[in-house]
Amino acid sequence: MRRHILSRRALLRSTLEALPRSAIALSMPAILAACSRAGQNQLDGIGLQLLGGEEAEEFAAIADRIIPPDNTPGAREAGAVHFMDAVLGDQRERELQILRDGLEELQNRANAEFQAASFSALNAKQQDQLLREIENTDFFATIRYLTVAGMFALPEYGGNRDGVGNELIGYEPRSVWQPPFGFYDEDYMNRGGQ
Amino acid sequence: MAGASFPTREAVDFVVVGSGAAGGVVAKELAEAGHSVVQLEQGPHLQAADFRHDEWGTFNNHDLTWSHRQGHPQTFRKSADETATVRDRVCNYAHNVGGSSLHFSGNFWRLRPIDFMEASARGTIAGTNFADWPIRYEELEPYYTRVDWEVGVSGLQGPWDPPRSRDYPCPPMPVKGSDVLLERGARALGRTAYPAPVAILSQPHNGRPGCIHCGFCLGFGCEVNAKSSSMITMIPAALASGNYELRTHCTVSRVETDASGRASEVVYFGEDGAEQSQRARAVVICANGAETPRLLLMSESPRHPDGLANSSGFVGRNLMFNGYSEVTGLFPEPVNAWKSIPATRVVHDWYEIDPAEGFYGGGGIDGRHPVRSGTPMESALASSMLGGPTWGAEYKARLREEFNHTAAFDGHTTSLPLDSNNITLDPEVRDKWGRPAIRCTYMDHPDDLATMRFFMERSVEMMEAAGALQIHATYPEDGQTNSSHMLGTCRMGDDPATSVIDRHHRSHDVPNLFLCDGSSLVTSSRGQPTMTIMALAFRAAEHIDRFARSNEI
Repeated sequence: MRRHILSRRALLRSTLEALPRSAIALSMPAILAACSRAGQNQLDGIGLQLLGGEEAEEFAAIADRIIPPDNTPGAREAGAVHFMDAVLGDQRERELQILRDGLEELQNRANAEFQAASFSALNAKQQDQLLREIENTDFFATIRYLTVAGMFALPEYGGNRDGVGNELIGYEPRSVWQPPFGFYDEDYMNRGGQ
Repeated sequence: MAGASFPTREAVDFVVVGSGAAGGVVAKELAEAGHSVVQLEQGPHLQAADFRHDEWGTFNNHDLTWSHRQGHPQTFRKSADETATVRDRVCNYAHNVGGSSLHFSGNFWRLRPIDFMEASARGTIAGTNFADWPIRYEELEPYYTRVDWEVGVSGLQGPWDPPRSRDYPCPPMPVKGSDVLLERGARALGRTAYPAPVAILSQPHNGRPGCIHCGFCLGFGCEVNAKSSSMITMIPAALASGNYELRTHCTVSRVETDASGRASEVVYFGEDGAEQSQRARAVVICANGAETPRLLLMSESPRHPDGLANSSGFVGRNLMFNGYSEVTGLFPEPVNAWKSIPATRVVHDWYEIDPAEGFYGGGGIDGRHPVRSGTPMESALASSMLGGPTWGAEYKARLREEFNHTAAFDGHTTSLPLDSNNITLDPEVRDKWGRPAIRCTYMDHPDDLATMRFFMERSVEMMEAAGALQIHATYPEDGQTNSSHMLGTCRMGDDPATSVIDRHHRSHDVPNLFLCDGSSLVTSSRGQPTMTIMALAFRAAEHIDRFARSNEI
């Protein structure tokens, strides 16, 4: 039994055979530049580079059911779609195709079951029902993976806007920490290592 | 320090292939001893300033570890009757100066005396190549101590630890909440959690600063050089020796031999893709337990039809991954195990499992964050590891709870050496240079799986005793499909029929070819092999230098 994350990744990429054209050293200056641009575009209200407006709206609606807004922002507000737009352009043609094919299938379902033209046109309850029907598909695994990654990636990639993902889980992006790190080690120190 | 520059058509004393835990040590030692050394490294020379807290780049684009995305596919299968397929992760290692010592978690357990003589102490195991080492702990001890001081290790000697000739240079790292809980669970059951020795500085040493506990440790390069990688501890000294040239972005494809059967030059692709060749009086391959056998197999010739240094047929065989188990617990108060280094305490009460259990094995258990890296994105992707939905409102609620309020007790365990677990050349898949891809065939031995399960069960007991509210336990019961530990594939031994190198790391077949890295190990260690790899490298370099001086190469 492996962690969900590993099996999901294996699922995502186990059949990738094509050799990429370029060798990337570290943190891909090119993609990071593209991502910074995506992040800036988002802040500036500028459109997406790769995804079309209609599909982007649909992906944002799905992302917002994966990490929904409550008293804190959901994945849409975090910029998950801007993250997807940035990273899908970097040798992730297969994932992009899975997303586009899966969206078409999902829209067909929306139409068949609720006579709706799009996923976004449904209410939250209907959206959740449709997603539950497809939650074991490659499509759902891929968009769930990208939504969660976009929520917590460095904001330069276009998601995790204003650090809302960090705030959600109580992660503070600092370089330096000093002990005590949490309750139990502080308690341990206070009791003289007992 | 720019280092020396050597012409490729004149023989240098040594070409060292790979600059990781072993290669960095060997090259630095030989260069400082006065030999001319060219080190070939396929990755870039990254520095502290290059490292960022970038999980997407690190774990999803594989910036350091590379994959098919960078043109380096590997294939995997469980047994020889399957066709191997390209996987995202198979044999993971960092492609850069310093190799995996740059991104590891730095757990630096020494082996114990028993590790070197376990087959004679407990008996051989049918169907395996379980064997004694040709050397003993006492022979390696001085080099363990050199690693402690010259590389930099933090720790505290425990009463059951193997004897040491000198204390640790740095005190142990400050204990984390996850390890306080481990200690609590262990103590309640009459077991002992002890400070974990790590190759991370708890205080300044050798001109480097102490750790700042940033939390982006496993998988990441250190931003302040507190992690004791080859990159920061060995390479600068090698460059300063004046006898050493570091060539990065150089991917070795072949070791050539001359008419007398001796290694004569090392063929590689430079950054521009042009094939080049460096002549050498001797060659040391330190490319790791997957790449070293791959290079030997790629270096086949009419004189060496089964690959270089492979008259035994043992090149690539006996691959050992080490096993693991992971037990996660939810606790009422903030643990914050994502801060600081991965592990600060270890329980070694089951270093050797009682043979009465009916299987061979042993290992240790340390306290950690439930995802090994302890980082936000990996944690969120892995939630809800304690059960529950993986999306929606409840998933979001769990994210809030699990990142801070969990601890994991992870088992690190032995693997047995088997013929059927091995590295071979993939017959179909090639990398961006046209070299046959690494094909890994691996299925854990039943005793290895029983050992992982045993450690999982012990961790669950300690987790319960520590007061966890909820527990999730797992181990790879269907067999592992990837690892960062590639061990045993060119094993050391006295008998040329059953080993690849002798006790001094010299190939049995080719007198001026030496191999030193994880491939040299005879047994698997208890799951933390790098300390031993570095100690072996210091020892190998000393013998190789001695041979060179006495004209015995």
